[in-house]
Amino acid sequence: MGRTLPSATQVFLQEEQAFARFRRALRRADQLALDDLFVSARQHLAAAQYASHALPFEVFLLAMLLEEHKEVMKLRERTEVILSRQK
Amino acid sequence: MKTTITGWLFDIYPNETNLTIWLIGEDGKRHRFVQDFAATVYAAGPSKRLRELWKWLKAQAVPVHLSRTERKDVFQGMVAVLAAEVLQPVKLDELFRSMVNAYPDLTYYDADISLPLRYAAAFGVFPLAQVRLEVRGETVMSITPLDTPWDLEPVPAPLRILSLEPDCDPVHGEPKAIIVSYERVRYSLPLEKRIPLLVGLGADLRRYDPDVILTSWGDTWLMPLLMELCKESGTALPLNRDESQAVVKRKEHTYFSYGQIVYRGRQVQLRGRWHLDRHNAMLWNDYGMEGVLEMARVTRQPVQDAARLSPGTGISSMQFVTALQKSILIPWHKNQAETPKTALDLMRSDMGGMVYQPTVGLHRDVGGIDFVSMYPGIMVRFNISPEVPRAGADLEPAPGAPGIVPITLAPLLNKRLALKSALLTLHRWDCRRPGYQALASAHKWLLVTCFGYLGYKNARFGRIEAHEAVTAYGREALLRAKEAAEDLDYEILHMYVDGLWVHKEGCKTPADFEALLAEITERTGLPISLDGVYRWVVFLPSRVNDKVPVANRYFGVFQDGSIKVRGIEARRRDTAPFIAETQMAIMEILAKAEDAVHLKEVYPRALAFVRKEMDALSAGCVPLEKLLVSQKLSRELGEYSSPSPAARTVRQLEEAGKAVRPGQRVRFLYTRGRPGVRAWDALEPPDPRSVDVRRYQTLLKRAVETVLTPIGQSVIGGKENECLYLFPAKNAEPLGEGGTQRLDFLSISKVNNSVNGGR
Repeated sequence: MGRTLPSATQVFLQEEQAFARFRRALRRADQLALDDLFVSARQHLAAAQYASHALPFEVFLLAMLLEEHKEVMKLRERTEVILSRQK
Repeated sequence: MKTTITGWLFDIYPNETNLTIWLIGEDGKRHRFVQDFAATVYAAGPSKRLRELWKWLKAQAVPVHLSRTERKDVFQGMVAVLAAEVLQPVKLDELFRSMVNAYPDLTYYDADISLPLRYAAAFGVFPLAQVRLEVRGETVMSITPLDTPWDLEPVPAPLRILSLEPDCDPVHGEPKAIIVSYERVRYSLPLEKRIPLLVGLGADLRRYDPDVILTSWGDTWLMPLLMELCKESGTALPLNRDESQAVVKRKEHTYFSYGQIVYRGRQVQLRGRWHLDRHNAMLWNDYGMEGVLEMARVTRQPVQDAARLSPGTGISSMQFVTALQKSILIPWHKNQAETPKTALDLMRSDMGGMVYQPTVGLHRDVGGIDFVSMYPGIMVRFNISPEVPRAGADLEPAPGAPGIVPITLAPLLNKRLALKSALLTLHRWDCRRPGYQALASAHKWLLVTCFGYLGYKNARFGRIEAHEAVTAYGREALLRAKEAAEDLDYEILHMYVDGLWVHKEGCKTPADFEALLAEITERTGLPISLDGVYRWVVFLPSRVNDKVPVANRYFGVFQDGSIKVRGIEARRRDTAPFIAETQMAIMEILAKAEDAVHLKEVYPRALAFVRKEMDALSAGCVPLEKLLVSQKLSRELGEYSSPSPAARTVRQLEEAGKAVRPGQRVRFLYTRGRPGVRAWDALEPPDPRSVDVRRYQTLLKRAVETVLTPIGQSVIGGKENECLYLFPAKNAEPLGEGGTQRLDFLSISKVNNSVNGGR
C-alpha cells in the first residue's frame, strides 16, 4: 500500500535512465553490451531490495560484476575441458 | 408465559422502539419477535467537558443510561470514559450526530458500529446461527447460540428461494419480460402488461413467501422498476415480509481499490426477507450463494450486507466484534500517527514481500511449494497486532497476551486450514467438495485483505509498524526456506513472496519433497504445503525485453496433467475468447505429453492445431462473439487524452443512448478502418467482413508464441537450450534491437517439419 520509498525496481530504472546520455554516445556494439550489463543487474533486484543499501548503484555494480564472474567461471570450465581434450 | 423455540436466526434490524428479530423455526414457520437492546457509545476527554456532556445527554428526549468507567484503548491504554447507553437503538445515529456537533472536541468510541454487529457481539450469534430463544408473547427474553461460525458443516437452514431475472441484460438491451422461478415453477411475465405483472408476482410472493429473492440486476434495474410500477399503478407488492418497514435503498458509487477502478451499483435491501443480486454481489462468480452465507456467518454482517460488501469491510467487522467482546474501545476517528524512524530504519522496513526474477525458460520436474496463508499465519503465530510491541524479526512470537488481530484471525485461519486438509483427503467426485471450495475461497478473500487492513491508515486497528513487521517476517521466512532448500541440494528456480519453485535431480513425486517441507516448517514455524510437482514449467520473459524475466508470468503442467497458468493471455479478462480458448487448447495438447522428453511428440500436433485455427480466422469461420474483446473503462470519457479502444467504444454506446460509468466493462470488436472498433452491446452486429482479421491474427500469433516459443526451444534445441540463461553461448546471432533474437513460431514449424521428416 502507500510506500514512502521507491522500490528497488523504481530505483533501478532511475539509475538506468541516468545513464541515457552516456549510452547514447556509445557505439552501437557497446550500447548492446551495456544493455546486457543492466540486464544482469536486474537479475538481482530482490537481493538489492533486501540489502536496502544507502547507495543502490553500488549494489547494482556488484550485481553486474557477479554475473560477469559467473560467466568467467563458466568459460574457464569450458576452456579447461577443451584443453584437457587436446592433451 | 415463557416458551422456548429453536431455529435459525434470519435477520435483525431496528424498529421504532427496539430490535426486530426474524427466526426460521425448526417447525418450518417464520417467526417475528422483538427484543429490547441498548447500544453504548463512549466519550473520552477532560473531566469538565465530560460532565457537561452528561448534563447535555440528560436533557435529550432519547432515554439514555449514563455512567463513568474505564476502558481499554488499543493505542493509549486505559482511558476514563463516559458511557452512554442508548435504550432506543434506532435513535443512536441521530443522537450521536448532535452530540458530535455540540462537543466536537471529545474523543468518541464505538460510535458507528451497526446494530447487527453489536447484537452479534453481545450474544455470540451470527446470521443463520442455530439458536434457542426464550420468548414471552412476541418478546425475546433470552437467546442462546447452539453452534459457532467455525463449524465445518453447519446444519443448512431450509431457505425458500425465488428467482427473478429479466430475459436480457438491461444494461445492453431492452428486456421484454421477467422470468420467475422457484422450486419446480418457472414462467415469464411480460413487462408490457404492468398490472397483471404486479398482481401475478404479488400472488406468488404471498403464496410461496420466499426467504430470499434472488435477482439478476435487481439492485440496479429490476427492483427500482418494480417499485416505480407499484407507485404508478397504486398496487402494493409485498417485497418486504415485514410490511411495517420500508424498502432500504442505497446509492451507486465508483471507487479505487488495489489499483483498480471498481463500480458498485445501487442497492435495494428488504426487511424480513433478503434481496440478493447476482450481479451486485461482491465475488458472486467466485463463490455463489454458499460463499455469501459463509461470508455472513464469519463476518457477522447481515446476509444482504455481506453479499454486497468488500472483504475489507468484512475483516473490519470481525475485528469490531472481537473488540466489543473483549471490551476494547473502537475509535470513531483514528488519530494514530506513524512513530518517527531514522532514514536507515525506513529503508529497512518500507519493503514488501520478496519477489525474485525467475530463470527464464523451461524447467523439468519442479516442485511448487507455498506457505499456507502466509501473512495471516504470521500474524497469528507471531502475535502481530497494533497494540503488541514487536519482538524483532527473529521469528519468535511477541511476548504477552494475544492481540486483537490474532484473536480475530485465529479461528478463521484454523477453519481454512481444516477445510484445505479436508479437501485434500476428499475424493475428486465427493459431493462436499464444491461447498468446501466455496467456503475456502470466501475465507481466502478475507485473509488476503486482513494484511492490507493492518497497514491501512484509516483502518481502526491498523498500524503501519505492524504491517511492516508482517512483511519482515515474511521475508525472513522465505529466506530461511531458500536456505533449507539449498542445504538439501535443491536448485531455486524462482521465489515469489510466499512460494518457491525448486528442482533437484531425481525428485519427481510428492514424497520426494516431504523432507524439504518438514525442514522448512522446522526452520520457520509456519505451515507449508506442496502445491504440486510440475512435469515441466516455463517461466516467461517480459514482453518488452525478452532477456528480462518477470515474476508472475508462467505456465506448467502438473504430474496429474492439470495445467497452471499465470499472467498469460488466457488468464487476462481482456483477451478475446477465441484467442484464450486457442491458447488453452494448445496447453491441453502439450499436457498430453507425460513428461518434457515427450513434448517433441505433441509439439507438431500443437502446430497443426494452430495452423487450423489460423485458417479458420482468415476464412472468417470464427463466430463474432468469440472475437469480442472486453475492457474496463478506467476513467470518465472526457479524461482520456488519446482515446483507447474502450473509450471509442463508449463513445459509440453513448451515441446509441447507453451510459457507461468508470469501472464498468464494455465489449467490442476490432474492425477495419476508422474508428477501428465496433461496440457490441446496443448496436446491431456488424458485417462479419468488416472485422480486422489482421489485428486478430497478430493477437493470436502473440498468444501462440507465448506458449510455443519456449516449448520449441526445448524440442528443437534439446535440454541444453531449455533455459535461456543470460548470455546464450552457442548459436547466438548478433543481438538485434531490444534483446536476443526471437524464434518465430512459423519458422519453427519449418524446422520442425524437417526434424520429423514432414507430417
